[in-house]
Amino acid sequence: MDLSRRGFLQAAALTAAASGLTVACGGSSGSGGTKNGKDLTLWYWGGALSDKVVAEAKTHFSSSVKLTSASIGGDFKQKLTTTIAAGTSVPDITGIKGEDMASFLPNASRFLDLNDLGFKKVSSQYLDWKTKLAQTKDGKQIGFPIDIGPTALFYREDLFAKAGVETDPAKVAALVKTWEDYFQLGTELQKKNPGTYLVNNIGSMFDMTVGQGTERFIDKNNHFIGDQDHIRAAWTTSVRPYTLGLDAKINDNTWNAAVGKTLLTELGAAWHALDIEQAAPQTKGKWRVCPMPVGPANQGGSYLALPRQCRNPEEAFKIISWILSPANDARGFTDAAIFPAAPAAYSMPAMTGPDAFFGGQKIIEVFGPAAKAVPLAYEAPADAAVMAPYKTELTNIEAKGKKPDDAWKDAVSQAKQIARRQGVS
Amino acid sequence: MSSPPVTGSAEVPQRLGGPVPARFRPRRTPPAGSARPRRRGPLSYWRQYLAISPFYLIFAAFSFFPVFYSLYLAFQRWDGMGTMQFVGLQQFRFLWDDPVFWLSIRNTLVIWVLSTVPTLFGALMLATLLHSVRRFKGFYRIALYVPNVTSIVAVAIFFGAVFSNNFGLVNAILGMVGISPVPWLSNPWLIKLVIALLMTWQWTGYNMIIYLAGLQAIPNSIYEAAKMDGAGPIRTFFQITIPIMRPIILFTVIISTINGLQSFSEPQVLFGSNAANANLGGPGQAGLTTLLYFYQSAFLNNDYGYGAAIVWAFFVLIIILVAVNWRITTRGRKA
Repeated sequence: MDLSRRGFLQAAALTAAASGLTVACGGSSGSGGTKNGKDLTLWYWGGALSDKVVAEAKTHFSSSVKLTSASIGGDFKQKLTTTIAAGTSVPDITGIKGEDMASFLPNASRFLDLNDLGFKKVSSQYLDWKTKLAQTKDGKQIGFPIDIGPTALFYREDLFAKAGVETDPAKVAALVKTWEDYFQLGTELQKKNPGTYLVNNIGSMFDMTVGQGTERFIDKNNHFIGDQDHIRAAWTTSVRPYTLGLDAKINDNTWNAAVGKTLLTELGAAWHALDIEQAAPQTKGKWRVCPMPVGPANQGGSYLALPRQCRNPEEAFKIISWILSPANDARGFTDAAIFPAAPAAYSMPAMTGPDAFFGGQKIIEVFGPAAKAVPLAYEAPADAAVMAPYKTELTNIEAKGKKPDDAWKDAVSQAKQIARRQGVS
Repeated sequence: MSSPPVTGSAEVPQRLGGPVPARFRPRRTPPAGSARPRRRGPLSYWRQYLAISPFYLIFAAFSFFPVFYSLYLAFQRWDGMGTMQFVGLQQFRFLWDDPVFWLSIRNTLVIWVLSTVPTLFGALMLATLLHSVRRFKGFYRIALYVPNVTSIVAVAIFFGAVFSNNFGLVNAILGMVGISPVPWLSNPWLIKLVIALLMTWQWTGYNMIIYLAGLQAIPNSIYEAAKMDGAGPIRTFFQITIPIMRPIILFTVIISTINGLQSFSEPQVLFGSNAANANLGGPGQAGLTTLLYFYQSAFLNNDYGYGAAIVWAFFVLIIILVAVNWRITTRGRKA
C-alpha cells in the first residue's frame, strides 16, 4: 500500500476544506455595500452586443471603472433568474432578451429604475413601443433597449420572375397588401414553380399575425383574452396556407436545407436575413425584401438592465447609454447584425448601404419604416406560456392532419388551463 | 470426464486476514469463544466519517437538499424570483386536470417500453454471442460499449440528421429502393420509435457488459452437465443461463426502468430546434416526455411550483413501476 493512513487523512481533510471554500466563495461579491464601486461586470450572450463596442467601452471608461464582460452561454434567462434569486454574484449590468422581459417585470424591484438615473432625458431617441415593453404599470423603466426585430417579407426574386410576376420590391409590396393577396400570389407562384411552398410552417405565420395586433393573449387587467376575435382571426389567417397547400410544414432543422430550394418566401425579422444568408449562401443576390402584408410585427430584440445589487449605478448607466448610443448602435448592425432600437441610426452610413445578398437592395428602406410602425401590445408575464398551446395545435394540424376547428378548441382550453395555473383570471 | 475446477468468487474471501495492520482487521468477526468486545461510540470513528464526508457534503448540497426543497415548492406558486405563495394541493389538482401531463406520461411509458425491451433482449443476446467469441474479444466489447460513453447531445443531433424527414440518410436509402419518404420526425409513433431507437443504441452496450460479467461467473461444469443430458444450445440458454442470471437481469431491469423513464435529453435535443415550439416535444407533442414537460413548465414558463408537482407525481409513478417490475421479475423464484 503506497498511501499511508496519515497521507490519506490529510488528503481527505484538504478535500473537505476545499469544498467548504468553494461554497464560501460564492458569497463574497455582490450584495449591498457602497454604491461607487470601481469594478463592474457585464453579462450578455454571444451576438447580443457588438463585441467591438464592448471592448471599446472598457477602454473608454477605464479611468473611472474597470468593466469586465462575460459572454454567458446556454440558457441565459435561467442563469440570470438563479443568480438574482440567490442575490450574490449578481452582474452589475445584464442583458435581458426581449421575449423574457415580460416575465422579469413582476420582479421589477430586483432591478434599478433607469428613470432615476436619467433615462427620461434620452428615451426620446429610442422607439417608444420598445421602451414601453420594458416598463412596469407604475412607470418604472427596467430595460434600456438594445435592438428590435421588425419583420418583413423576404422573397425569391428569381422564382417570382419565373412565374412572370412583379419582382421589384415596391411593386411586390403593392401586390401583397393583405394576407389574402399574399396567398393568391402564392398559388400563382406555386403553379409556375412546382414543388415550392409559400411559407415554411403555419406556426411562424401565427407569430406574425398575432404580432400585428395591439392585443395579445392576456389583457392589462390580467384577464385571458386568447379566445376572442383578434386571436381567432389571426388563427384563421395562419391556417389558410395549410388549406391552400402553400405550407411546406417544416418543423425541424431541415429548414436549413429547404430555404435555398423549396421556399418562395420567408416571413421574418431583420435579423432573419443573416439566417437565410448562412443557410443558403448559394442564393446570394436572388433574395429581395418588401413590407409584410397588412403591416410589420416585432420578433425579438433585447435590453440592458441594472440589477438592484449594481455596485455603481451612475457609472453603469453612463456605460450602457454610451454602448447603446445611436452611433454605437449602428455599429452593432455592421458587426453583429443587431437592428438598432434608435431610429437616428437608420440614416447613418453603416446602415444605408446596399446589401449584396439582396441584389444590392438598400434593405433599411424596408426595415426602417417597419421599425417605426410596429404596434404596441401589452405583453403579460405569462404570455409566452399561454401562446405555446396554439402553436402546438398548429403543428398538430400540419403533422397529424388534425381538423383546424378541433385544434382551435383544444388550443383554447389548454391555454385557459395554463393561464389559470399562472394566476390569470 | 473431469470438469475444470470452479474458479471465481468462491476463492476471494480467503485473502482476508493476512498480514494486514491490526487496525484494519474486520471487527465484526470476533474469534469464536472470546468475550464480546466493548462497544465503541460512533464518535470514535470520526476519522472514517471524515474520510467519507466529501461525498456526503456534496450529495447533501446538490442532491438531498434540492430534492426536499422541490417537495416544498410543489405546494407553492413561485416564479423563481418573487415571493412564494402557499397554494396547498392546488398544483396537484391542476396536474390531475392537465391533459398534457397525462399525454407526457403516456409518451414516457411508450418510449420506455419501446426502448427497454429491445435493449435488454439485445444486450442478453449480444452478451451470449460475445461470451462464445474467441478472437477480438476486447475490440467487440469496446465497440459495443462506446455508444454509452458518447455524448447524448451529439448522438441526438446525429440521429436528427439521419432520420430527418426531407433530407435524411434513412429516407435517402429508402428512396433508392423505391420506398417513399417516411415522416420519421413528424408522425407521433415514429417520433417515439426514433427516440426509443436512440436510447436502445445507447444502453444496449452498457447492459451487455453487465450480462457478460454475469455469464462469465457461471461455471462451465453446469453447461457440460447439460450437454451430457442432451440439451441443445437454445434449451441450455433458457433453462440454465436465464435462471442463473436472474439476479443480474433483475438489476438491469430496475436500472433500465429508472433510466428509461427519465428520458429528457433525447427529445429535448431532437426537437430543440423545432421552429414553432422549442422544448415541447416536436409535432403533436409526441416526444414530450414527463421530464421534458417538467423542464418546460419550471424553467421556460417560470412555474416552479407546478414543475415540482410534476416531478413528484412522476416519482410516485417510478416507484410503482419499479415495484411492479420487481414482483414480475422475482415471481416464482422462492417457490
